[in-house]
Amino acid sequence: MAVIETIGLSKIYNETIVPVKALNEVNLAFEQGEFTSIVGPSGSGKTTLLNMLGGLDKPSSGSILINQTDITKLKERQLIDYRLRHIGFVFQSYNLIPVLTAVENVSFIMLLQKQPRKAIDQRAREILEQVGLGDRLNARPAQLSGGQQQRVAVARALASRPDFVLADEPTANLDTQSAFNLLDIMEKLNRDENITLIFSTHDQRVIERARRVITLVDGAVASDENHGS
Amino acid sequence: MLIKIAWRNIWRNTSRSLTILIAIMIGLAAALMASAFSMGFVQQRFNNVIERFVSHIQIHNPDFVHDGEVTQYLTNPQEIMLKLQQNQTVKQAALRTKANGIIASAKVSSGVQITGIDPQAEQRLTDLKGWLIKGAYFEGVKRNPVYIGQELATKLKADVGSRLVLNFQNLDGEITAASFKVVGIFKTIDVAFDETTVFVQRTDINPLLGGEQLAHEIALLSDDFDQITKLKQQLQQQFPELEVRSWEKLSQELVLMQEMTSQSLIFLVFIILLGLGFGILNTMLMSVFERTRELGMLMAVGMNKKRVFLMIMFETVLLSFTGAAAGMLLGFGLISWLGRQGINLAGVAGDSLAIYGYGNMIYPYLETPFYLQTAFLVLLIALLSALYPAFKALQLVPAEAVRKE
Repeated sequence: MAVIETIGLSKIYNETIVPVKALNEVNLAFEQGEFTSIVGPSGSGKTTLLNMLGGLDKPSSGSILINQTDITKLKERQLIDYRLRHIGFVFQSYNLIPVLTAVENVSFIMLLQKQPRKAIDQRAREILEQVGLGDRLNARPAQLSGGQQQRVAVARALASRPDFVLADEPTANLDTQSAFNLLDIMEKLNRDENITLIFSTHDQRVIERARRVITLVDGAVASDENHGS
Repeated sequence: MLIKIAWRNIWRNTSRSLTILIAIMIGLAAALMASAFSMGFVQQRFNNVIERFVSHIQIHNPDFVHDGEVTQYLTNPQEIMLKLQQNQTVKQAALRTKANGIIASAKVSSGVQITGIDPQAEQRLTDLKGWLIKGAYFEGVKRNPVYIGQELATKLKADVGSRLVLNFQNLDGEITAASFKVVGIFKTIDVAFDETTVFVQRTDINPLLGGEQLAHEIALLSDDFDQITKLKQQLQQQFPELEVRSWEKLSQELVLMQEMTSQSLIFLVFIILLGLGFGILNTMLMSVFERTRELGMLMAVGMNKKRVFLMIMFETVLLSFTGAAAGMLLGFGLISWLGRQGINLAGVAGDSLAIYGYGNMIYPYLETPFYLQTAFLVLLIALLSALYPAFKALQLVPAEAVRKE
């Protein structure tokens, strides 16, 4: 059964002035544990689709079922709580909290979820070890390289074991070596923890590693290819 | 966690936070200092009037309070004094004889209030001797010494040793005159008092008035300032036929002045803090705008609006309270130090303050409730200043904010 399903998903910006169709009747389904890249030229609707899946934006029409819950019907407060408990986010610009250390950043979402303190600490350390930052637990973002910061961001997104992780151009700001390291880590976590990963990307390095590649053109699905594992 | 983030966020831009912290610290310390100076000014007047002239409680014949006639005396003053001496709350008490009259030198005359005192008892009560600037306090002149103010001495062109004639009405309604010799000249902080009040011995004035034991007033000090109201009520019950009044009733303008000063000062502090509030608002608004992407991320990952709002509020309150704590400490230190040293205004004010009954030495002080009220105002202003930046943060759209450069 699909973890995520979009049915007739459309998004039109500036509906009353000059309408821009960002998504046009998108029907997609994502299974548990998938490693998917959403690709396409600029303005093809990648980020809009990711925002919809993450509950950060409302569609103009259609629905998004996540574990059979239509998140387009949720009120804002419920949606915030839904994001907190079910979705992990990785952003292009890392977006870590600069005043917190690596371990505090990773603990942050679990703290918002009010998980037990001891379990949070253990999980944060464990996942930072997994992303290769076991020796930088108490470093602040400014003391880490771009690649290390993005690894902390991945650890933060995965630490609370969300239903799926949405990553918006996660390698865009990384050099080749850092990008490969990050992809290795994400692949491993996807395999080990069976977490569904969905990327939006331009990056060929990411596309080559994805098991499923969805291409968007002008807001519609142009191709949906399965590359196998 | 929110408080930890809020506290660390304050120090992300150290120079900006320090600027507003120093502004709060100096502003608040200055406001407290100005308030303490005003309170000290009022308190000095209060001490002078209450402790040195009025005393804590006065007892009169009720008719004397209204008419002030020499015939409206206390009928059994010695008996009252005996009872007062037995009261453990009464620290000191003294009898006074009062009469209105005219004092005349060879060339000039002036209307005065003649106060007959027992010099030793009065000295323990009101420090009349402490105001002496020339001559002696009822020493060296055996018969009819008079103790006059400097202003009156100047007006009458009199000096120590001068002979002056006092004219007044006796108990029979006849005008009586007697010659008195200036034994000493005093100078208080109240020019009007110095010009219109003369002190003589009861033992001299009473026979002239026509009653050896005559007294119109009993003034007394309580051994505990906070117990004055209770003592007044107790004495009123003990002497129901007399009028017992505490300093609050005797000097209503002082009570009003104290209350008005206290209220206007807290208003002054509020105005200063309001000005600082705009500084705080500006700092927090800049902080929010600079962190658009971060706040967007927090909202995107599931931090609800209540927590975002609280985080901004915590930041503002912590920033304000850090500055306020420093300001209060600085203000408290300054007030304590100057409260001991005193501020001498003689250099800038000369004798002009004395015209209004004020001395030149001011000892700034503030009562604890004032600090607490100020702390409450800081909290209020901080919360008000935080509202706009916090609402601005809430208006961010996470999907747009996370992509902000």
